Amino acid sequence: MADLQKGYVSRRTMEIVTTFLTGGAGIAICTASWRSGVGWSDTGPEAGYFPFIVGSLVILGSMVTLLRSLFFYNHEGEVFLDIERAKPVLGFFLPIVAFIIISLLLGLYVGTALYIFGSMKWQGGYRWWISACAALAVSALFYLVFEIGFQVPLLKGPIEAWLGIY
Amino acid sequence: MGNFSYLMDGFSTIITGHHILIMIIGVMLGILVGVLPGLGAPNGVSLLLPLTFTMDPISAIILLSCMYWGALFGGSTTSILFNIPGEPSSVATTFDGYPMAKNGQATRALTLAFMSAGIGALAGVIMITLLSTWVAGFALQFSSPEFFAVYFLAFASFIGMSGNAPAKTLVTMMLGFAFATVGMDTISGGLRLTFGIPDLIKGVSFLVAVMGLFGIGELLLTTEEGLRFDGIKARVRIVDVLKALKEMPRYSWSILRSTVIGIWMGITPAGPTAASFMSYGLARRFAKDKSGFGKGDPRGIVSPETADHSAGTAALLPMLALGVPGSATAAVMMGGLMIWGLTPGPMLFIDRPDFVWGLIASMYLGNVVAVVLVLATVPIYASILRVPFSIVGPVIVAIIFSGAYQIANSTFDMWLVLGFGVLGYLFKKLDYPIAPLVLAMVLGDKAEDAFRQSMLMSNGSLSIFWSNPLVTGIMALGLLMLLWPVFANAVGVRNLRRRAAGHSAKV
Repeated sequence: MADLQKGYVSRRTMEIVTTFLTGGAGIAICTASWRSGVGWSDTGPEAGYFPFIVGSLVILGSMVTLLRSLFFYNHEGEVFLDIERAKPVLGFFLPIVAFIIISLLLGLYVGTALYIFGSMKWQGGYRWWISACAALAVSALFYLVFEIGFQVPLLKGPIEAWLGIY
Repeated sequence: MGNFSYLMDGFSTIITGHHILIMIIGVMLGILVGVLPGLGAPNGVSLLLPLTFTMDPISAIILLSCMYWGALFGGSTTSILFNIPGEPSSVATTFDGYPMAKNGQATRALTLAFMSAGIGALAGVIMITLLSTWVAGFALQFSSPEFFAVYFLAFASFIGMSGNAPAKTLVTMMLGFAFATVGMDTISGGLRLTFGIPDLIKGVSFLVAVMGLFGIGELLLTTEEGLRFDGIKARVRIVDVLKALKEMPRYSWSILRSTVIGIWMGITPAGPTAASFMSYGLARRFAKDKSGFGKGDPRGIVSPETADHSAGTAALLPMLALGVPGSATAAVMMGGLMIWGLTPGPMLFIDRPDFVWGLIASMYLGNVVAVVLVLATVPIYASILRVPFSIVGPVIVAIIFSGAYQIANSTFDMWLVLGFGVLGYLFKKLDYPIAPLVLAMVLGDKAEDAFRQSMLMSNGSLSIFWSNPLVTGIMALGLLMLLWPVFANAVGVRNLRRRAAGHSAKV
């Protein structure tokens, strides 16, 4: 896309891309409900009857939005995201992905502690021991509130098993 | 006055040490989520909901509804002190609240805001007390076609009131319905829209969607805009509070007008955000001297706050009496009721009067508690916002994902939250409304059941929606709301709406 060379994505591009995304979702909904049956059976409307209408309306809405962005566009020249602004967003988003992956492997308590430690240390620029204390405090607080206060368990990993906290 | 004795019963249920403690906790947590960026009322209530599964329904609804009141107050606090609306519905409060606080009158601005908010909320509760039995009794005549017509009315007015892009509202709303149908079909037992992914068989919880769309999506937007908290030091002095209280009667006309707007917008699903903008716009239009607006005019604080809170409270009337929530947060609470095994709607008033009137009584008490608490604790919460985002942000993220896991002990839900987060970011940047999606997800099953049962009754003919005066009336009203933009254009009401939209674009 031409926009990318200029270092930003225009709002118009994103409007159009989004209508394709939602339109595609609409098509997926329609085909999936078609397979469940969109007709009439002995027990009334089949399972796909309602979702099929819903999917058709998603496609309709996406098409109208697409036409509006192409022919009646009223955000001319607006920037959706430039590199300058994309950096902090990615800097916030990618650690979240890492946090989820680590939490799936090591449990949510360890994941939370590592995530908060990492964010404070590398993004906040705090000294390592301040970050470590804050991270442990947050995890401990989670344990008190969730596990003991409300008695809802969080995902645990090998480290809790090794420490015998179950 | 049957309602009055019911209400007294409600008060006797809730005035216990246990319930008042829960109220205080709810309000405090609410102010906290209202103050923190990325955690709003819908998201806060969603996070708390899985924790209430073990509680009895009355305590649980008191906790959640008080959190809602607290969040509304917290949102106003950050609007006034930091020029950052904690809630979308308190955007209009920043126009005059922040300038007034900047002029060294922070206490005056906060007191005016909280008092008018409290009055608005009480007016909303009084309306609920007076009307709820009547509305519920009326709704007792409803069968499936009428219920579907009411849902149609609710969703049609969303599309009709959505201002500039009704097609976008249609898309998000229908996506919400589609998410609601994922998983096991309750009638045929077959699987739908699972695309062969086993994790989708249990369906997509609306809580997951709210946490992603409102929570992660909001945080991504916040980081993009960069956080500049040039807060104003808030020291609440009793003398200033009393002085501000003394000038309140001067604004009674603004308050009255805003209450009416708020209650109307709350009952129809336009919601608190639209109500506060409209109320601000009208206050300006009717003011003789407009020069003070935008520079700290007290009417510019009182009007949006009153409307915001009366709409927020009034949104619970259709939820309780009809099973159609009037705002995103009310939708989440209604989802909670269904999880606790209570069916919102007219039968709730007959089956569980203790629950309904306990809730209504707690709304009176909870709002009074909230006004007192929020005035007393403003400095504490204001100092929380001074904690750098590199600490607050990750803590909020960790809370959201812990909450997402607790809904169904599912790790798949955590990925879904992330996906919804990206979707929320995209939708918010492109002005796709998110509240209709949440509403559709909560109501999806009920709307579909009502539709299918109506179709069964009529053997597949849509004419059942015009079969008697009641259902015809509701459907006609729905069509009118759907086509409202066309009518409004003709009458010229549209200009007002466009001005309100222009205000929101500033933020």
